Amino acid sequence: MALPEVHSATGISSASWSPVSASDLLRLLNRYSFGFALLLMVALLLANLAEESWNFGWSDQLANFAPMALAAMASTPAIISGGGGFDLTISPLIYFIGEIFIIWLAPNGLGGAESVPIVLLIGAGVGMLNGLLIIGLRVPPVVATLSMYFVLIGADLKIAPNPQYLSTSWVQHLAHSVGPVPGAVFTLGFPLVVWGLLGLIPYRRTLYAVGSNDATAFASGVDVSAVRVAAYTLGGLFAAVGALALVGLTVSANSNLSQTYTLLAIASVALGGTSLWGGRGGLVGSMIGAACIYLLGNLLTTLQIDPSYLQVMYGGMLVFAVILGGVAAKAKAAP
Amino acid sequence: MTVAGDVRAEPGTEALPVLISARGVAKTFGATQALRGASFELRAGEVHALVGENGSGKSTLVKVLSGVHAPDAGEIELGGSLLPALRNPRAAVEAGIVTVFQEVLVAEARSVLDNVWLGADGLLRTRIPVREKRARAREALGELLGRPLGLDTPVEELSLSDRQACSIVRALLRRPRVLILDEATSALDVATRDRLFGIIGRLGRDGVGIVFITHRMDEIGEIGDRITVMRSGETVATLERGRWTPRELVRLMTGSDQLTEHARQGIEAAVARRGEVALRTRGLRLVPGAQPIDVEIRSGELVGVAGLEGHGQDGFLEALRGAGAPAGDVARVADGREVTLLSPRHAASYGIAYVPKERRQALFGWMSIRENFAMPTLGDDSRSGWLDLRRMRRRFAEHARRLSIVLGSPSDRITTLSGGNQQKVVLGRWLAARPKVLLLNDPTRGIDVGAKRDLYVLLTRLAEEGLAIVMLSSELDEHVELMDRVLVFREHELFREIGRESLSRRSLVSAFFGESEDADGAA
Repeated sequence: MALPEVHSATGISSASWSPVSASDLLRLLNRYSFGFALLLMVALLLANLAEESWNFGWSDQLANFAPMALAAMASTPAIISGGGGFDLTISPLIYFIGEIFIIWLAPNGLGGAESVPIVLLIGAGVGMLNGLLIIGLRVPPVVATLSMYFVLIGADLKIAPNPQYLSTSWVQHLAHSVGPVPGAVFTLGFPLVVWGLLGLIPYRRTLYAVGSNDATAFASGVDVSAVRVAAYTLGGLFAAVGALALVGLTVSANSNLSQTYTLLAIASVALGGTSLWGGRGGLVGSMIGAACIYLLGNLLTTLQIDPSYLQVMYGGMLVFAVILGGVAAKAKAAP
Repeated sequence: MTVAGDVRAEPGTEALPVLISARGVAKTFGATQALRGASFELRAGEVHALVGENGSGKSTLVKVLSGVHAPDAGEIELGGSLLPALRNPRAAVEAGIVTVFQEVLVAEARSVLDNVWLGADGLLRTRIPVREKRARAREALGELLGRPLGLDTPVEELSLSDRQACSIVRALLRRPRVLILDEATSALDVATRDRLFGIIGRLGRDGVGIVFITHRMDEIGEIGDRITVMRSGETVATLERGRWTPRELVRLMTGSDQLTEHARQGIEAAVARRGEVALRTRGLRLVPGAQPIDVEIRSGELVGVAGLEGHGQDGFLEALRGAGAPAGDVARVADGREVTLLSPRHAASYGIAYVPKERRQALFGWMSIRENFAMPTLGDDSRSGWLDLRRMRRRFAEHARRLSIVLGSPSDRITTLSGGNQQKVVLGRWLAARPKVLLLNDPTRGIDVGAKRDLYVLLTRLAEEGLAIVMLSSELDEHVELMDRVLVFREHELFREIGRESLSRRSLVSAFFGESEDADGAA
């Protein structure tokens, strides 16, 4: 095969000089940014299944997995929106909403179906507040959501200084099964369905465009602020679903744990191929990223490996994924 | 391909209705008055060229018209009725004013289709069905590029010319009443540019008003019906088609030469202090495929780097400081040896000092004046690893005297100083490293006249002491007044070198716009 000559103006094209197979692989990784995480997830899943003699307990595993996956998905829209977009509040927000459910809604007869819209509204409201803080005060997202993070942790401790427990409630089904269907399918499915529906209106494309280049979007007449506020609102909404999944699983509210998912969620997003610079990635990637972290933890626990190694392996996995993503992006951007 | 302009009815423009009428538009940014009472009129169906040198206010005027900046004063009428203040580009687009900005604006990760329709929909409702979007995008791209372009290709995989085409098509698809093209042809290849001119001609016949900014005289001649010339934030003249010459345009853009001629008196002839070659570029190309640049910089000379903004001057300076270029290299010549520069750090070790454009980039804002001065040369102040503050104070006092820095106490924060004095501290910092070559990137931007004078005197003295100085400046007068010779850049190539004897505002601006040298003959 003749190598393409690099000519003046036409030289700037995607013509690649590297061996076909490697560049094709990188292209594939770039188009499906969660490709690496997907392969890793399948490998880890097989390892898990083998280790547990194909007796995995799908319904319970999914229920255990759901809160973290939802935290990861909730963190994603803010990151995609670009401009340093970041939402640190997701984990304490999940616990905050869980406590409201257990301490205020359920005992006051609002624990039934009517709790769903209330909970979703609170989540979306806090998310929107994050967005408005960032846009209105022009504070960097990390600073704004870090402030809200502390406020929410404080609120969590104030509402429930001691662990609180829930008597029987419908939300427990979400951690077991609804008829023959694992309950987690509903919680995990909610953001995916919302995300899918957003693909039917211009919003989702616009969000990616804003994340990819906000100056271009602004100059083209896009209301960049509204798009960003909506992204944080979506994050809050998904966090509320995470709260239901968590309450269903633990049947309790323990404010001491309210920081559990903060960093794991962000690690999942990055592992799932979403660019921390915005404009690329998606919810599915974040869920797969979360699955990798969950399955790795599971595997090492059943193998009875010292948990301190677990953190090291999370770190290693993340660094590897981010480097791979960077290599793929570079291969694409290179003239 | 035939080009518009020659097809259009000649006497028509007089009678055409006025689309935009802007009067007394003013805009200040901090201390800079970018626009002072600019007036501008655009008729339906005309191509109106807007020309001026750097900082003349044409980009600011465009940004006011397109809703990016709100004017401080003045009023703008659109189609005969007063236009309410445009709060953002969206408001301008809704009023029918669509702009293609100077920077190639694309959302890199998104597809061609998403890019050309960006902003056309609301957030919740699709205004145009996908099928129609695809069809119209395909048609518009085909007309501009003369070949089909994959609508689902991510824009980041396209060439620069095709990206530029996407941002132009984005504007065309909005069906503008007023189309503003701010240097929109700079990245296009020639054939695409000709097709664009064809499209512009068609839009003109349909009654669209077109504002056209370019750095090429030939393009103005080719499609411009009228030309408005801007200078120092004012609109100084509007000329009809066929009633101007390039020389006259240059004269209007530069104004009078008297001021600077006077200031040049009393500066010693350059030849007297020209020494050995200090820096040499070898086949340097600032973009792939450009003409290679081979120049020598000698000790004791002051070399200006000029051109319209964004024509490769920054890249040239970057290359000189060792940051590399797409092709070719830069060598430091010292004691008869040539050393190829590998990195800025490597260059610094061979006595090349660089003062960046953004003063904020050069300053440690929360640190004291003295610390700002001493930071890169702390090694000189330490004895066996321990910092000797007395020595640092002595060293700073020496440089402060030499540069006549006006300050309260050296331990005050650097931010307490005026811009000019801050710049002197930065300069002193690099001079303290005793460089042999000094590279300056627009060092007088945003500092007052008095401080500029001080700086000129200082630079001249440094050159006399044998320092080789290369200075990028966006101010014409600075080149005329100070430089021994000026390298004028155009489209990322060294377009012309102007020696001191023929330096004038006019010769510079002629070169900026690619005019042949005889346009300067009268000056």
